Amino acid sequence: MTQTTPVGSSPVTASRPGPGRTILLFALPILLLAVVIAVFVRTDGAGLSAKPAAPIEALQFERATLKPGTIELHLRNVSPQTVAIAQVIINDSYWAFAATPGPSIPRLGSATIRLDYPWVEGEAYAIRLISSSAIAFDASIAVAAETRAADVRTLLSFTLIGLYVGVIPIVLGMLWLPVLRRMSRRWMVFFTAVTIGLLIFLGIDAASEALELANGLGGAFQGIGIVGIGIVATFMLLQAISQRQASPRGGSATAPDPARTRVSLAFMIAIGIGLHNFGEGLAIGASFAVGAASLGTFLVVGFIIQNITEGLAIVTPIAGDPLRLSDLGLMGLIGGGPAIAGAWIGGLSYSQPLAVLFLSVGAGAVFVVVFQLFRMLQKNNANAPSPLTQFAGVTAGMLILWLTGLLIK
Amino acid sequence: MTKRTISRRLLLGALGTGALATGFAAFGEGARGGLAASGSSPHGTGQPHQQPLPPPSGGAHGGHSGAGMVGEVDHDANGFNPTDLLGDFDFGKVSQLANGQTLREYTIVAQNKMIEVAPGIQYPAWTYNGRVPGPTIRCTEGDRVKVTFINGSDHAHSIHFHGFHTAEMDGATPVNPGGTFIYEFDAEPFGLHLYHCHVLPLASHIAKGLYGAFIIDPKAGYVNKADREMVMVMAGFDIDFDGKNEIYCVNTIPFHYDRNPIKIKAGALNRIFLVNILEYDMLNSFHVHANFFHYFPTGTSLTPSELTDTIIQGQGQRGILEFRYKHPGRYLFHAHKTEFAELGWVGQFEVEA
Repeated sequence: MTQTTPVGSSPVTASRPGPGRTILLFALPILLLAVVIAVFVRTDGAGLSAKPAAPIEALQFERATLKPGTIELHLRNVSPQTVAIAQVIINDSYWAFAATPGPSIPRLGSATIRLDYPWVEGEAYAIRLISSSAIAFDASIAVAAETRAADVRTLLSFTLIGLYVGVIPIVLGMLWLPVLRRMSRRWMVFFTAVTIGLLIFLGIDAASEALELANGLGGAFQGIGIVGIGIVATFMLLQAISQRQASPRGGSATAPDPARTRVSLAFMIAIGIGLHNFGEGLAIGASFAVGAASLGTFLVVGFIIQNITEGLAIVTPIAGDPLRLSDLGLMGLIGGGPAIAGAWIGGLSYSQPLAVLFLSVGAGAVFVVVFQLFRMLQKNNANAPSPLTQFAGVTAGMLILWLTGLLIK
Repeated sequence: MTKRTISRRLLLGALGTGALATGFAAFGEGARGGLAASGSSPHGTGQPHQQPLPPPSGGAHGGHSGAGMVGEVDHDANGFNPTDLLGDFDFGKVSQLANGQTLREYTIVAQNKMIEVAPGIQYPAWTYNGRVPGPTIRCTEGDRVKVTFINGSDHAHSIHFHGFHTAEMDGATPVNPGGTFIYEFDAEPFGLHLYHCHVLPLASHIAKGLYGAFIIDPKAGYVNKADREMVMVMAGFDIDFDGKNEIYCVNTIPFHYDRNPIKIKAGALNRIFLVNILEYDMLNSFHVHANFFHYFPTGTSLTPSELTDTIIQGQGQRGILEFRYKHPGRYLFHAHKTEFAELGWVGQFEVEA
């Protein structure tokens, strides 16, 4: 039997109420939600007393700044409530302190605790903060050393380190371009695969570092969430940008210029590597900031060797194209320059949540490039895929970073 | 990428506590000056320290100016002030029994109470009569002592007196919440004793504040007449319940007599009733600067055992000290376990001409 629609009340008009009604319908569940929450709160959490027996307090120590005669601790309150610092013990001795902006730290707020304490270079300090509800928080300074001040000399040093670790090796790596140009098609496949391998390794490394750091963040920051958002959002954004570049607006029938696509891919690689190097710069700067003892010349040399492969990765897609030196220079700067900025920020104001975000963004950027390189490889070599060459290249790329990593670890 | 790991270890490595021998900062008079400046804010309501650090005191003592705590304890809210506790002896309600014996009656109530055990730090203490240490019970050898104990808290407690008494009066039997028990015995032997809760788990019942001094004066009196008598109960507080003390003190508030020196007169005889009820640490000690004292262990002999400037007491040990200062000025006294001193067990005498 067929159902007939009554005249004058077509389904279309029935499902299209006025704008006022739409808003009302949208707001209704929210209003009801408010009522439910109110009921829950008024009934003392469904009868369970939601009040904890002891206050839930958690503090995160972000960094310590040491100057002659003073120690500054940078704290963040990562607990569900305000934490008030009442007293400070340093190496089993109560010590006067000043808290900026104040000893009461709101949720997710931060504070600096200053102790005028005659610390001795090279010694270790155990610092214990006691909150007003008698909860103790421990921090330690493993090796006391003066923190670098943000003066011109320090900024210059950080810039130089960034140049050594980021820009110089990448530019050196790009000098392999003439060699790449002479390569046969098969070798080009191999080197593209090497690039993919390098990037996969870097991406995994950045993601794992981000996760490791994220686990150290206080619960309120949801570190894993930051990592997820950082990786996925970066991936989606860069992918969207490259798609827009590949198919210009107006829907012109002409297919995108393949050379242009390759150049933009090279830029994408440079951006991904740049974001990755920013994370490296952060870490290097932070290490130097707390006394360079642990990060010797040897380590920097290791990074230079490792990062030279990044230059190779950038230029591989454009090996067959006519060159524009300005493009190359720009790519080198994009890929290596962030190491400088990272070193500055890491050395002068390290923040763990930000470090997690940057590392995740770096990982996302690297992964999107891996994705695009794979697509390019497959499109360009649809006739002769040479899968074993791809396997050999990717594996070689990952092994190169693993082996050069031995120099650093 | 290892550098990240390295940097994290250096920056954020939590609790890699390399226990260092702490260089003991001499507690000089000037050194304390800076501290007093930070502590003497007029609104001593336990509000912690919004103000910046006191200016460095500079000079020879500059290096130690930061030692100590910030802020002030609200003694009014606590209901007791360590300065007043020194000479606060409870002789009880005195009457005469038919046999001529002196009867001293006391009422002690166990109650839970939040106490600001250090500036800005609230601690859920268990108290006798709302104070820590409990009242100093003082009587004379041979008196009849009658203590009505009311348990006004939500846990079983008792009072275990040191001294001679019958098994029923020993205080090893818990008195349930809301319950009452009357402890009654003859005061003997003379000496300096103590009382404390004896309900399990013992360490926490004591450490949370259920203790006090119990003085039985010799019938014949002391050999010397003291110009000033003071009770000092050495204790500590494990405020985060980890089985270790974060605070060491005499008469509960750390650094109190350091910030509020005890005023005594040059040439006058001082007698200190010193009790150690510290939990979680094996030993405690007492050291006085620029002086020596006669020490009467447990106060059970009228002849001093030695003339010294440092003594050690284990848990529950106590003794009487007698000394005079020749020269006016400020003199430190503190645990010679210097860690305890820097964690609060330090004070000063201010000797006036």
